[in-house]
Amino acid sequence: MRLLLSALASILLLAGAAGAADAPAGASSCTGCHAVQAVPDSAIPRIAGRPAAELVRFLHDYRSGAAPSSVMGRIAKGFDDAQIDAIAAWFAAQPP
Amino acid sequence: MTTRRRFLELSGAAAVASPAVAAPAVARAQGTGKVVVVGGGFGGATAARTLAQLQPGLAVTLVEPDPVFTACPFSNLVLAELRDMDQQRFGYDGVRRAGVTVAPTAATAVDPAARAVSLADGSRLAYDRLILSPGIDIGWGRLPGYDEAAAEKMPHAWKAGPQTLLLRRQLQAMEDGGLVVMSSPANPFRCPPGPYERASLIAWWLKAHKPRSKLLILDSKDVFSKQRLFQSAWAKLYPGLVEWVPLSQGGKVTSVDPATLTLVTDFGRHKAAVANVIPPQTAAAIARQAGVADRTGWCPVEPVAFESKLQPGIHVLGDSAIMGGMPKSAFAANAQAKVCAAAVVDLLAGRQPVDPVLINTCYSLVAPDYGISIAGVYRPDKGVLADIPGAGGVSPLEAAGDLRGQEALYASSWFRIVTTETFG
Repeated sequence: MRLLLSALASILLLAGAAGAADAPAGASSCTGCHAVQAVPDSAIPRIAGRPAAELVRFLHDYRSGAAPSSVMGRIAKGFDDAQIDAIAAWFAAQPP
Repeated sequence: MTTRRRFLELSGAAAVASPAVAAPAVARAQGTGKVVVVGGGFGGATAARTLAQLQPGLAVTLVEPDPVFTACPFSNLVLAELRDMDQQRFGYDGVRRAGVTVAPTAATAVDPAARAVSLADGSRLAYDRLILSPGIDIGWGRLPGYDEAAAEKMPHAWKAGPQTLLLRRQLQAMEDGGLVVMSSPANPFRCPPGPYERASLIAWWLKAHKPRSKLLILDSKDVFSKQRLFQSAWAKLYPGLVEWVPLSQGGKVTSVDPATLTLVTDFGRHKAAVANVIPPQTAAAIARQAGVADRTGWCPVEPVAFESKLQPGIHVLGDSAIMGGMPKSAFAANAQAKVCAAAVVDLLAGRQPVDPVLINTCYSLVAPDYGISIAGVYRPDKGVLADIPGAGGVSPLEAAGDLRGQEALYASSWFRIVTTETFG
Protein backbone atom coordinates (compact mmCIF):
# COMPACT_ATOMS: atom_id res chain seq x y z
CA MET A 1 0.00 0.00 0.00
CA ARG A 2 2.73 2.41 1.03
CA LEU A 3 4.78 1.67 -2.09
CA LEU A 4 1.78 2.03 -4.32
CA LEU A 5 0.85 5.34 -2.74
CA SER A 6 4.33 6.80 -2.99
CA ALA A 7 4.60 5.63 -6.59
CA LEU A 8 1.27 7.30 -7.25
CA ALA A 9 2.47 10.46 -5.49
CA SER A 10 5.65 10.52 -7.61
CA ILE A 11 3.67 10.21 -10.81
CA LEU A 12 1.38 13.03 -9.74
CA LEU A 13 4.38 15.19 -8.85
CA LEU A 14 6.01 14.50 -12.20
CA ALA A 15 2.73 15.43 -13.82
CA GLY A 16 3.15 18.90 -12.38
CA ALA A 17 1.14 18.76 -9.17
CA ALA A 18 0.99 22.07 -7.40
CA GLY A 19 3.53 24.01 -5.40
CA ALA A 20 4.62 22.91 -1.97
CA ALA A 21 3.01 19.57 -2.57
CA ASP A 22 6.55 19.07 -3.91
CA ALA A 23 8.11 20.10 -0.60
CA PRO A 24 9.37 16.86 0.93
CA ALA A 25 8.23 15.71 4.37
CA GLY A 26 9.66 17.97 7.05
CA ALA A 27 10.78 20.82 4.79
CA SER A 28 7.80 23.04 5.55
CA SER A 29 8.62 22.89 9.26
CA CYS A 30 12.23 23.93 8.60
CA THR A 31 11.07 27.25 7.14
CA GLY A 32 9.67 28.28 10.54
CA CYS A 33 13.31 29.16 11.34
CA HIS A 34 15.03 28.93 7.94
CA ALA A 35 12.64 31.09 5.94
CA VAL A 36 12.66 30.85 2.17
CA GLN A 37 12.26 34.61 1.98
CA ALA A 38 15.12 36.73 3.28
CA VAL A 39 14.63 38.17 6.77
CA PRO A 40 17.23 40.78 7.73
CA ASP A 41 19.49 40.61 10.80
CA SER A 42 18.85 36.97 11.56
CA ALA A 43 21.22 34.97 13.73
CA ILE A 44 19.71 31.84 12.17
CA PRO A 45 21.51 30.98 8.91
CA ARG A 46 19.50 31.23 5.71
CA ILE A 47 19.76 27.97 3.76
CA ALA A 48 17.58 28.65 0.72
CA GLY A 49 19.68 28.32 -2.44
CA ARG A 50 22.67 26.71 -0.67
CA PRO A 51 24.24 23.73 -2.42
CA ALA A 52 22.46 20.50 -1.55
CA ALA A 53 25.72 18.67 -0.80
CA GLU A 54 26.67 21.30 1.76
CA LEU A 55 23.29 21.04 3.51
CA VAL A 56 23.47 17.23 3.52
CA ARG A 57 26.95 17.37 5.08
CA PHE A 58 25.81 19.79 7.79
CA LEU A 59 22.76 17.71 8.65
CA HIS A 60 24.78 14.49 8.83
CA ASP A 61 27.37 16.16 11.06
CA TYR A 62 24.70 17.63 13.33
CA ARG A 63 22.94 14.28 13.52
CA SER A 64 26.14 12.40 14.43
CA GLY A 65 27.35 15.11 16.78
CA ALA A 66 30.50 15.65 14.68
CA ALA A 67 29.48 19.30 14.37
CA PRO A 68 28.41 21.15 17.52
CA SER A 69 24.95 22.69 17.46
CA SER A 70 22.28 24.04 19.78
CA VAL A 71 19.04 22.64 18.42
CA MET A 72 19.98 21.15 15.04
CA GLY A 73 21.48 17.95 16.43
CA ARG A 74 18.22 17.22 18.24
CA ILE A 75 16.19 17.90 15.10
CA ALA A 76 18.44 16.10 12.58
CA LYS A 77 18.12 12.88 14.60
CA GLY A 78 14.49 12.74 13.46
CA PHE A 79 15.41 12.34 9.77
CA ASP A 80 16.93 9.47 7.78
CA ASP A 81 19.40 9.83 4.90
CA ALA A 82 16.74 9.83 2.19
CA GLN A 83 14.70 12.50 3.99
CA ILE A 84 17.80 14.64 4.48
CA ASP A 85 18.69 14.31 0.78
CA ALA A 86 15.19 15.37 -0.23
CA ILE A 87 15.06 18.36 2.13
CA ALA A 88 18.53 19.51 1.08
CA ALA A 89 17.60 19.26 -2.61
CA TRP A 90 14.41 21.25 -2.00
CA PHE A 91 16.20 24.08 -0.16
CA ALA A 92 18.95 24.10 -2.78
CA ALA A 93 16.29 24.64 -5.46
CA GLN A 94 14.81 27.70 -3.70
CA PRO A 95 15.91 31.16 -4.86
CA PRO A 96 18.95 32.30 -2.82
CA MET B 1 -2.94 2.47 8.44
CA THR B 2 -6.46 3.04 9.66
CA THR B 3 -5.90 6.68 8.91
CA ARG B 4 -4.72 5.94 5.42
CA ARG B 5 -7.78 3.86 4.69
CA ARG B 6 -10.02 6.55 6.06
CA PHE B 7 -8.19 9.06 3.93
CA LEU B 8 -8.64 7.07 0.79
CA GLU B 9 -12.33 7.03 1.54
CA LEU B 10 -12.46 10.73 2.31
CA SER B 11 -10.24 11.88 -0.52
CA GLY B 12 -12.43 10.42 -3.20
CA ALA B 13 -9.81 8.01 -4.49
CA ALA B 14 -12.37 5.26 -3.95
CA ALA B 15 -14.98 7.31 -5.81
CA VAL B 16 -17.62 6.43 -3.25
CA ALA B 17 -20.59 8.75 -3.33
CA SER B 18 -20.60 10.54 0.02
CA PRO B 19 -20.86 14.16 1.08
CA ALA B 20 -17.18 14.11 1.99
CA VAL B 21 -16.09 13.43 -1.59
CA ALA B 22 -18.71 15.39 -3.48
CA ALA B 23 -17.19 18.81 -2.92
CA PRO B 24 -13.62 17.87 -3.85
CA ALA B 25 -14.94 16.19 -7.00
CA VAL B 26 -16.59 19.46 -8.05
CA ALA B 27 -13.48 21.42 -7.12
CA ARG B 28 -11.32 19.12 -9.19
CA ALA B 29 -13.56 19.54 -12.19
CA GLN B 30 -13.23 23.31 -11.99
CA GLY B 31 -9.56 23.33 -11.01
CA THR B 32 -10.45 25.51 -8.07
CA GLY B 33 -12.22 25.38 -4.74
CA LYS B 34 -13.33 27.37 -1.73
CA VAL B 35 -11.39 27.22 1.51
CA VAL B 36 -12.42 29.18 4.58
CA VAL B 37 -9.91 29.66 7.39
CA VAL B 38 -11.18 30.79 10.78
CA GLY B 39 -8.68 32.52 13.07
CA GLY B 40 -5.84 34.83 12.07
CA GLY B 41 -3.06 33.70 14.39
CA PHE B 42 0.09 31.72 13.66
CA GLY B 43 -1.96 28.75 12.44
CA GLY B 44 -4.74 30.45 10.49
CA ALA B 45 -2.77 33.25 8.83
CA THR B 46 -0.05 30.79 7.81
CA ALA B 47 -2.62 28.34 6.43
CA ALA B 48 -4.38 31.06 4.42
CA ARG B 49 -1.18 32.51 2.97
CA THR B 50 0.24 29.08 2.16
CA LEU B 51 -2.96 27.98 0.42
CA ALA B 52 -3.02 31.11 -1.73
CA GLN B 53 0.65 30.66 -2.63
CA LEU B 54 0.33 26.95 -3.43
CA GLN B 55 -2.80 27.21 -5.52
CA PRO B 56 -3.55 30.70 -6.86
CA GLY B 57 -6.88 29.46 -8.29
CA LEU B 58 -8.26 28.68 -4.85
CA ALA B 59 -10.72 31.10 -3.24
CA VAL B 60 -9.24 31.49 0.24
CA THR B 61 -11.04 33.56 2.87
CA LEU B 62 -9.55 34.28 6.29
CA VAL B 63 -12.19 35.11 8.90
CA GLU B 64 -10.69 37.26 11.65
CA PRO B 65 -12.51 40.08 13.46
CA ASP B 66 -9.41 41.76 14.90
CA PRO B 67 -7.63 44.04 12.41
CA VAL B 68 -4.36 43.48 14.29
CA PHE B 69 -2.97 40.26 15.74
CA THR B 70 -1.14 40.50 19.06
CA ALA B 71 1.45 37.76 19.41
CA CYS B 72 1.82 35.82 22.65
CA PRO B 73 5.40 34.63 22.05
CA PHE B 74 7.76 37.29 23.41
CA SER B 75 4.91 39.01 25.30
CA ASN B 76 6.63 37.98 28.54
CA LEU B 77 9.38 40.42 27.52
CA VAL B 78 6.74 43.15 27.40
CA LEU B 79 5.92 42.39 31.04
CA ALA B 80 9.58 42.83 31.94
CA GLU B 81 9.81 46.18 30.07
CA LEU B 82 12.26 44.59 27.63
CA ARG B 83 9.99 45.05 24.66
CA ASP B 84 7.29 47.37 23.43
CA MET B 85 3.79 46.07 22.80
CA ASP B 86 3.89 47.54 19.27
CA GLN B 87 6.55 44.93 18.42
CA GLN B 88 3.96 42.24 19.16
CA ARG B 89 1.38 43.55 16.70
CA PHE B 90 0.87 42.34 13.15
CA GLY B 91 -1.74 43.38 10.58
CA TYR B 92 -3.17 41.41 7.69
CA ASP B 93 -1.96 43.44 4.69
CA GLY B 94 0.63 40.78 3.91
CA VAL B 95 -2.07 38.10 4.05
CA ARG B 96 -4.18 40.12 1.58
CA ARG B 97 -1.17 40.64 -0.69
CA ALA B 98 -0.79 36.86 -0.89
CA GLY B 99 -4.22 36.73 -2.52
CA VAL B 100 -6.33 35.91 0.52
CA THR B 101 -9.70 37.60 1.09
CA VAL B 102 -9.87 38.77 4.69
CA ALA B 103 -13.37 38.85 6.21
CA PRO B 104 -12.98 41.29 9.13
CA THR B 105 -15.72 39.79 11.24
CA ALA B 106 -16.25 36.89 13.61
CA ALA B 107 -17.37 33.39 12.69
CA THR B 108 -20.48 32.73 14.77
CA ALA B 109 -21.52 29.25 13.64
CA VAL B 110 -20.44 26.39 11.41
CA ASP B 111 -22.96 24.18 9.61
CA PRO B 112 -20.91 21.08 8.75
CA ALA B 113 -23.77 19.44 6.81
CA ALA B 114 -24.30 22.49 4.58
CA ARG B 115 -20.56 23.25 4.51
CA ALA B 116 -21.08 26.89 5.41
CA VAL B 117 -19.84 29.34 8.04
CA SER B 118 -22.12 32.06 9.43
CA LEU B 119 -20.47 35.38 10.14
CA ALA B 120 -21.28 38.10 12.67
CA ASP B 121 -22.00 40.54 9.84
CA GLY B 122 -24.93 38.35 8.79
CA SER B 123 -23.33 36.79 5.73
CA ARG B 124 -22.57 33.13 5.07
CA LEU B 125 -19.48 31.61 3.50
CA ALA B 126 -19.71 28.28 1.71
CA TYR B 127 -16.64 26.06 1.76
CA ASP B 128 -15.28 22.92 0.22
CA ARG B 129 -12.83 22.64 3.09
CA LEU B 130 -12.85 24.57 6.37
CA ILE B 131 -9.73 25.14 8.47
CA LEU B 132 -10.34 26.12 12.08
CA SER B 133 -7.42 27.65 13.92
CA PRO B 134 -9.28 29.69 16.53
CA GLY B 135 -6.89 29.26 19.46
CA ILE B 136 -8.02 29.02 23.05
CA ASP B 137 -10.76 30.34 25.24
CA ILE B 138 -10.20 30.88 28.93
CA GLY B 139 -12.20 28.24 30.80
CA TRP B 140 -14.26 30.73 32.78
CA GLY B 141 -15.86 29.07 35.78
CA ARG B 142 -13.50 26.08 35.82
CA LEU B 143 -11.45 27.69 38.61
CA PRO B 144 -13.97 28.83 41.25
CA GLY B 145 -13.92 32.60 41.66
CA TYR B 146 -12.17 33.24 38.35
CA ASP B 147 -14.44 35.00 35.84
CA GLU B 148 -14.10 37.94 33.44
CA ALA B 149 -14.39 40.44 36.29
CA ALA B 150 -11.76 38.58 38.34
CA ALA B 151 -9.37 38.76 35.38
CA GLU B 152 -9.43 42.56 35.69
CA LYS B 153 -8.02 42.17 39.24
CA MET B 154 -5.93 39.05 38.74
CA PRO B 155 -4.95 39.11 35.05
CA HIS B 156 -4.29 35.90 33.17
CA ALA B 157 -2.33 37.67 30.40
CA TRP B 158 -2.57 34.37 28.52
CA LYS B 159 -3.95 36.15 25.46
CA ALA B 160 -1.54 38.95 24.68
CA GLY B 161 -2.96 42.47 24.60
CA PRO B 162 -4.71 44.55 27.28
CA GLN B 163 -4.24 41.75 29.83
CA THR B 164 -0.47 41.85 29.29
CA LEU B 165 -0.40 45.61 29.83
CA LEU B 166 -2.63 45.33 32.90
CA LEU B 167 -0.26 42.83 34.53
CA ARG B 168 2.71 45.05 33.68
CA ARG B 169 1.03 48.10 35.25
CA GLN B 170 0.28 46.11 38.39
CA LEU B 171 3.92 45.01 38.65
CA GLN B 172 5.09 48.58 38.11
CA ALA B 173 2.73 49.87 40.82
CA MET B 174 3.68 47.23 43.37
CA GLU B 175 5.70 48.23 46.45
CA ASP B 176 9.22 46.80 46.65
CA GLY B 177 8.96 43.76 48.91
CA GLY B 178 5.61 42.67 47.51
CA LEU B 179 4.66 39.07 46.84
CA VAL B 180 3.86 38.17 43.23
CA VAL B 181 1.86 34.95 42.98
CA MET B 182 1.42 33.04 39.72
CA SER B 183 -0.75 29.99 39.22
CA SER B 184 -0.04 27.46 36.48
CA PRO B 185 -2.74 25.05 35.25
CA ALA B 186 -2.80 21.31 34.69
CA ASN B 187 -2.04 20.02 31.19
CA PRO B 188 -2.98 20.63 28.46
CA PHE B 189 -2.72 24.38 28.01
CA ARG B 190 -1.28 26.94 25.59
CA CYS B 191 2.53 27.23 25.65
CA PRO B 192 3.72 24.64 28.21
CA PRO B 193 6.99 26.46 29.09
CA GLY B 194 5.27 29.87 29.06
CA PRO B 195 4.44 30.20 32.76
CA TYR B 196 8.04 29.45 33.70
CA GLU B 197 9.53 31.84 31.14
CA ARG B 198 7.15 34.45 32.55
CA ALA B 199 8.23 33.68 36.12
CA SER B 200 11.86 33.99 35.02
CA LEU B 201 11.44 37.35 33.31
CA ILE B 202 9.30 38.79 36.11
CA ALA B 203 12.05 37.63 38.51
CA TRP B 204 14.65 39.34 36.31
CA TRP B 205 12.62 42.55 36.43
CA LEU B 206 11.99 42.33 40.18
CA LYS B 207 15.69 41.76 40.83
CA ALA B 208 16.48 44.94 38.88
CA HIS B 209 13.66 47.16 40.15
CA LYS B 210 12.10 45.72 43.33
CA PRO B 211 14.79 43.42 44.76
CA ARG B 212 13.10 42.79 48.11
CA SER B 213 10.10 41.21 46.35
CA LYS B 214 9.36 37.51 45.97
CA LEU B 215 7.69 35.39 43.30
CA LEU B 216 5.66 32.32 44.21
CA ILE B 217 4.49 29.85 41.53
CA LEU B 218 1.58 27.64 42.56
CA ASP B 219 1.44 24.72 40.15
CA SER B 220 -1.23 22.13 39.40
CA LYS B 221 1.54 19.86 38.07
CA ASP B 222 4.55 18.07 39.50
CA VAL B 223 6.55 18.31 36.28
CA PHE B 224 6.78 20.99 33.61
CA SER B 225 8.53 21.74 30.33
CA LYS B 226 12.31 22.37 30.52
CA GLN B 227 11.96 21.99 34.29
CA ARG B 228 15.57 21.23 35.22
CA LEU B 229 16.86 24.02 33.00
CA PHE B 230 14.48 26.56 34.52
CA GLN B 231 15.13 25.45 38.10
CA SER B 232 18.89 25.43 37.64
CA ALA B 233 18.73 28.93 36.13
CA TRP B 234 16.50 30.22 38.94
CA ALA B 235 18.96 28.91 41.55
CA LYS B 236 21.81 30.62 39.73
CA LEU B 237 20.20 33.91 38.64
CA TYR B 238 17.41 34.52 41.15
CA PRO B 239 18.37 32.74 44.39
CA GLY B 240 15.76 33.19 47.10
CA LEU B 241 13.50 35.15 44.77
CA VAL B 242 11.55 32.40 42.98
CA GLU B 243 9.71 29.64 44.82
CA TRP B 244 7.89 26.87 42.92
CA VAL B 245 5.24 24.80 44.73
CA PRO B 246 4.31 21.59 42.86
CA LEU B 247 1.00 19.78 42.97
CA SER B 248 2.26 17.21 45.46
CA GLN B 249 3.22 19.95 47.90
CA GLY B 250 -0.10 21.77 47.75
CA GLY B 251 0.49 23.84 44.62
CA LYS B 252 -2.91 23.31 43.02
CA VAL B 253 -5.02 26.45 43.22
CA THR B 254 -8.59 25.41 44.00
CA SER B 255 -10.23 28.85 44.08
CA VAL B 256 -9.39 32.54 43.98
CA ASP B 257 -10.80 35.59 45.73
CA PRO B 258 -10.31 38.62 43.52
CA ALA B 259 -11.49 41.04 46.23
CA THR B 260 -8.47 40.21 48.41
CA LEU B 261 -6.11 38.95 45.64
CA THR B 262 -6.01 35.59 47.40
CA LEU B 263 -5.21 32.24 45.80
CA VAL B 264 -6.51 29.27 47.76
CA THR B 265 -4.96 25.79 47.81
CA ASP B 266 -5.77 22.74 49.93
CA PHE B 267 -2.75 23.68 52.05
CA GLY B 268 -3.35 27.38 52.62
CA ARG B 269 -4.25 30.82 51.40
CA HIS B 270 -1.78 33.03 49.55
CA LYS B 271 -2.49 36.74 49.56
CA ALA B 272 -0.71 38.43 46.68
CA ALA B 273 0.37 41.98 45.99
CA VAL B 274 0.12 41.04 42.30
CA ALA B 275 -1.64 37.87 41.16
CA ASN B 276 -1.23 36.31 37.71
CA VAL B 277 -3.75 33.49 37.35
CA ILE B 278 -3.11 31.28 34.33
CA PRO B 279 -6.42 29.43 34.31
CA PRO B 280 -7.64 26.22 32.66
CA GLN B 281 -8.34 26.62 28.94
CA THR B 282 -10.40 25.04 26.16
CA ALA B 283 -10.59 25.16 22.39
CA ALA B 284 -12.22 28.44 21.32
CA ALA B 285 -16.01 28.61 21.23
CA ILE B 286 -16.36 28.31 17.44
CA ALA B 287 -14.63 24.92 17.51
CA ARG B 288 -16.96 23.68 20.21
CA GLN B 289 -19.98 25.09 18.32
CA ALA B 290 -18.84 23.39 15.11
CA GLY B 291 -18.88 20.04 16.88
CA VAL B 292 -15.18 19.36 16.42
CA ALA B 293 -14.29 19.47 20.15
CA ASP B 294 -14.74 16.35 22.27
CA ARG B 295 -15.59 16.09 25.95
CA THR B 296 -12.09 17.24 26.91
CA GLY B 297 -12.85 20.62 25.32
CA TRP B 298 -10.14 20.10 22.66
CA CYS B 299 -10.36 18.90 19.05
CA PRO B 300 -9.26 15.42 17.97
CA VAL B 301 -7.81 15.28 14.44
CA GLU B 302 -6.16 12.66 12.24
CA PRO B 303 -2.40 13.18 11.90
CA VAL B 304 -1.93 13.65 8.14
CA ALA B 305 -4.15 16.58 7.11
CA PHE B 306 -5.49 17.38 10.62
CA GLU B 307 -9.04 16.69 9.53
CA SER B 308 -11.45 16.48 12.44
CA LYS B 309 -12.22 13.00 13.70
CA LEU B 310 -15.74 14.27 14.43
CA GLN B 311 -16.71 16.33 11.35
CA PRO B 312 -15.46 15.51 7.83
CA GLY B 313 -14.37 18.48 5.73
CA ILE B 314 -13.23 20.49 8.76
CA HIS B 315 -9.54 20.68 9.60
CA VAL B 316 -8.38 21.91 13.01
CA LEU B 317 -4.88 23.07 13.85
CA GLY B 318 -2.95 25.06 16.41
CA ASP B 319 -3.71 25.38 20.11
CA SER B 320 -7.32 24.17 19.84
CA ALA B 321 -6.38 20.78 18.36
CA ILE B 322 -5.18 17.59 20.03
CA MET B 323 -1.91 17.06 18.20
CA GLY B 324 -0.50 14.00 19.95
CA GLY B 325 3.04 14.73 21.06
CA MET B 326 3.16 18.26 19.63
CA PRO B 327 2.73 21.03 22.19
CA LYS B 328 0.45 24.04 21.83
CA SER B 329 3.01 26.50 20.50
CA ALA B 330 3.22 29.16 17.80
CA PHE B 331 5.99 27.20 16.07
CA ALA B 332 3.79 24.10 16.05
CA ALA B 333 0.73 25.99 14.74
CA ASN B 334 2.80 27.52 11.92
CA ALA B 335 4.26 24.11 11.02
CA GLN B 336 0.88 22.38 11.18
CA ALA B 337 -0.65 25.10 9.00
CA LYS B 338 1.84 24.53 6.18
CA VAL B 339 1.28 20.77 6.28
CA CYS B 340 -2.49 21.26 6.42
CA ALA B 341 -2.50 23.73 3.51
CA ALA B 342 -0.55 21.35 1.28
CA ALA B 343 -2.84 18.47 2.28
CA VAL B 344 -5.97 20.52 1.57
CA VAL B 345 -4.63 21.39 -1.89
CA ASP B 346 -4.05 17.67 -2.46
CA LEU B 347 -7.50 16.70 -1.21
CA LEU B 348 -9.25 19.31 -3.35
CA ALA B 349 -7.40 17.95 -6.37
CA GLY B 350 -8.35 14.37 -5.51
CA ARG B 351 -4.81 13.48 -4.48
CA GLN B 352 -3.81 11.51 -1.42
CA PRO B 353 -1.79 13.63 1.05
CA VAL B 354 1.49 11.96 1.95
CA ASP B 355 2.48 11.34 5.56
CA PRO B 356 4.09 14.52 6.92
CA VAL B 357 6.99 15.06 9.27
CA LEU B 358 6.69 18.06 11.59
CA ILE B 359 9.15 19.86 13.82
CA ASN B 360 8.55 21.92 16.91
CA THR B 361 11.16 24.21 18.43
CA CYS B 362 10.38 26.44 21.42
CA TYR B 363 12.81 28.89 22.94
CA SER B 364 12.32 30.35 26.40
CA LEU B 365 14.21 33.26 27.87
CA VAL B 366 15.26 32.92 31.48
CA ALA B 367 16.96 36.33 31.26
CA PRO B 368 17.38 38.68 28.29
CA ASP B 369 20.65 37.00 27.26
CA TYR B 370 19.90 33.51 28.57
CA GLY B 371 17.88 31.25 26.27
CA ILE B 372 16.93 27.58 26.53
CA SER B 373 15.09 25.41 24.04
CA ILE B 374 13.06 22.28 23.52
CA ALA B 375 12.61 20.57 20.18
CA GLY B 376 10.71 17.58 18.84
CA VAL B 377 10.18 15.81 15.52
CA TYR B 378 6.83 14.15 14.86
CA ARG B 379 5.19 11.79 12.38
CA PRO B 380 1.85 10.01 12.12
CA ASP B 381 1.91 6.76 14.05
CA LYS B 382 -1.13 4.68 15.04
CA GLY B 383 -3.51 7.53 14.29
CA VAL B 384 -1.71 10.29 16.18
CA LEU B 385 1.25 12.61 15.71
CA ALA B 386 3.95 10.84 17.69
CA ASP B 387 7.47 11.86 18.73
CA ILE B 388 10.12 10.23 16.57
CA PRO B 389 12.18 8.26 19.09
CA GLY B 390 15.74 9.46 19.57
CA ALA B 391 15.04 12.93 18.22
CA GLY B 392 14.22 16.11 20.08
CA GLY B 393 14.89 17.08 23.68
CA VAL B 394 16.02 20.10 25.63
CA SER B 395 19.18 22.19 25.80
CA PRO B 396 21.99 20.60 27.81
CA LEU B 397 21.95 21.31 31.54
CA GLU B 398 25.65 22.17 31.43
CA ALA B 399 26.08 24.71 28.65
CA ALA B 400 29.36 24.91 26.79
CA GLY B 401 30.64 28.34 25.78
CA ASP B 402 27.97 30.95 25.24
CA LEU B 403 25.19 28.52 24.32
CA ARG B 404 22.62 30.37 26.49
CA GLY B 405 23.44 33.68 24.79
CA GLN B 406 23.32 32.00 21.39
CA GLU B 407 19.90 30.49 22.09
CA ALA B 408 18.61 33.89 23.24
CA LEU B 409 19.72 35.30 19.87
CA TYR B 410 18.08 32.41 18.03
CA ALA B 411 14.87 33.07 19.95
CA SER B 412 14.59 36.64 18.73
CA SER B 413 15.54 35.65 15.18
CA TRP B 414 12.90 32.92 15.23
CA PHE B 415 10.24 35.44 16.27
CA ARG B 416 11.10 37.77 13.39
CA ILE B 417 11.22 34.92 10.89
CA VAL B 418 8.02 33.18 11.94
CA THR B 419 6.03 36.40 12.07
CA THR B 420 7.35 37.30 8.61
CA GLU B 421 6.36 33.90 7.27
CA THR B 422 2.95 34.09 8.94
CA PHE B 423 1.92 37.68 8.23
CA GLY B 424 4.15 38.59 5.27
